[in-house]
Amino acid sequence: MARRIYYLVIAMAVAMLATGAWLALVWAPPDREMGDVQRIMYAHVPSVWMALLAVTLNFGCSIAYLIRSNWKADALAEAAAEVGVLFGAVGVTLGSIWGRPTWGVWWTWDPRLTSAAIMLVSYAGYLALRRFVEDPERRATWSSVAAIIAFVDIPIIWFSVKWWRSLHQVQSSPSTVDPKMTLVLRWNAIAFLLVMIVFIWSRYRIALHQRERELAPPEALAAEPQSRTPAAGALR
Amino acid sequence: MSAPDSEADQPSQAGALGLIQQLFANAAIVLAKDLLIEWRTRTRLNALLFFSFATLLLFSFALGPDTKLLERNAGGYLWLAILFSSVLALGESFRVERENASLDGLRLVPTDARAIFLGKALGNGLILILIGLLLIPVMVALYGVTIAMGFGPLVVVLVLGCFAISWPGTVYSAIASNARARDVLLPLLLFPLIVPALLAAVKATSLVLQGDPMLQLRSWLTLLVAFNLIYWALGLALFPQVIEE
Amino acid sequence: MTGHLITLVLAQAGRAVGSGRIVGGWEYVWAAYAITWTALGLYALSLWLRRPGADSKELE
Repeated sequence: MARRIYYLVIAMAVAMLATGAWLALVWAPPDREMGDVQRIMYAHVPSVWMALLAVTLNFGCSIAYLIRSNWKADALAEAAAEVGVLFGAVGVTLGSIWGRPTWGVWWTWDPRLTSAAIMLVSYAGYLALRRFVEDPERRATWSSVAAIIAFVDIPIIWFSVKWWRSLHQVQSSPSTVDPKMTLVLRWNAIAFLLVMIVFIWSRYRIALHQRERELAPPEALAAEPQSRTPAAGALR
Repeated sequence: MSAPDSEADQPSQAGALGLIQQLFANAAIVLAKDLLIEWRTRTRLNALLFFSFATLLLFSFALGPDTKLLERNAGGYLWLAILFSSVLALGESFRVERENASLDGLRLVPTDARAIFLGKALGNGLILILIGLLLIPVMVALYGVTIAMGFGPLVVVLVLGCFAISWPGTVYSAIASNARARDVLLPLLLFPLIVPALLAAVKATSLVLQGDPMLQLRSWLTLLVAFNLIYWALGLALFPQVIEE
Repeated sequence: MTGHLITLVLAQAGRAVGSGRIVGGWEYVWAAYAITWTALGLYALSLWLRRPGADSKELE
């Protein structure tokens, strides 16, 4: 049953992504000021939104793990962070690409882009931490601590970069009012959301499987490898 | 885990105020121990200081002899030197414990993990402040700056900035010292986190050095104070999780 | 009036004075979408390669 829902969501995600691309590239009107370059926004904005969502999920799971030492929370936190870094990297890259024809340069220290870049490094550090700690319990505890610290920093980064920049020139930000554009943006946002749900769910399963193997008693490995070891009961 | 006669067994007598007093007392013990160790092995501290001087010197060479440029950005160079030194200083603060397994010894003493955090973070902060204080005359000499707003505000910025590095740095140091690739993990975790504090400290320092006609110093100091409070609180809450077995 | 404003804004960004919008730029759009799809596709591939049970299948 869960399998079927999973494949259904994948199908929906692909379908919406494909139609979303057509909407963005063909159907949406060019922007009054930015022309066709505006179309990058339909991928850039959803990417950043997804990254923020994923990172928030990671924060929640990290707190959950510290409170209840639940391996599912830890696995979900790992999945959310990895997917968050993926969408964040795409978002920042697309933001830079968008900036080239609009602002004339690849990077301008725009507060949003700068904050996103810092967050990206932050969560890449989280992933590195997970990779460098071998004991599962310590890894879970320490990465939860690092995740909470990193997440609390996000608004601080945002405000400080904004103040830092506001002493210099004001940059023009895109203002889109055309209802067609809003529709395309929303459609693509939902498409990206479905993709993210699929990614996080799959990555969660991978992390959980890895946890089972790490926590399984040595005897279980001598037999034929299987995902339903008795030790898996300990994870319930 | 606690000795039979420890004060921790008499909370009813102590009350909340007593607990806080005990916390600070224990933190002071940890701090004194760390500072004593640093003083006894002060060749390392000397090396750290010379490393920070060398960093300031390197900036001069890397950025060329344009004195105007150097003077304008002196605050930035100062804080980068402190930041790079912090990676070495912070990395050390738990290495001693790990190598001698003395953290286990610390834990056997009925001391709150929070006291360990306070003691260690205060120690790290003080070392960074010391480095900063000694860098100021070097900065004045190398970059030809004058301290327009006076030494007092400069010290305030220095203290706030160094502790802003120290609170999260101590937590990360405890984590990194037990992980693989600990030398790169600490800066990788710490640097993105303290970007706001770095921005604020550099801006505030530049204003103190060059004058503050538009009275912006207050906003940056507020950011620094807020950052300090938030990460002091988070460190206090999360550090016990890090060192508990 | 807005035309003048737009011109001013775009002139600050280094654009040619007189044109009211950015012309062309499709190569950026294609680059952006190509990057997005490639990134998502490669990640999906990595998920599939890492799927639980993939290791046991490789042993056969």
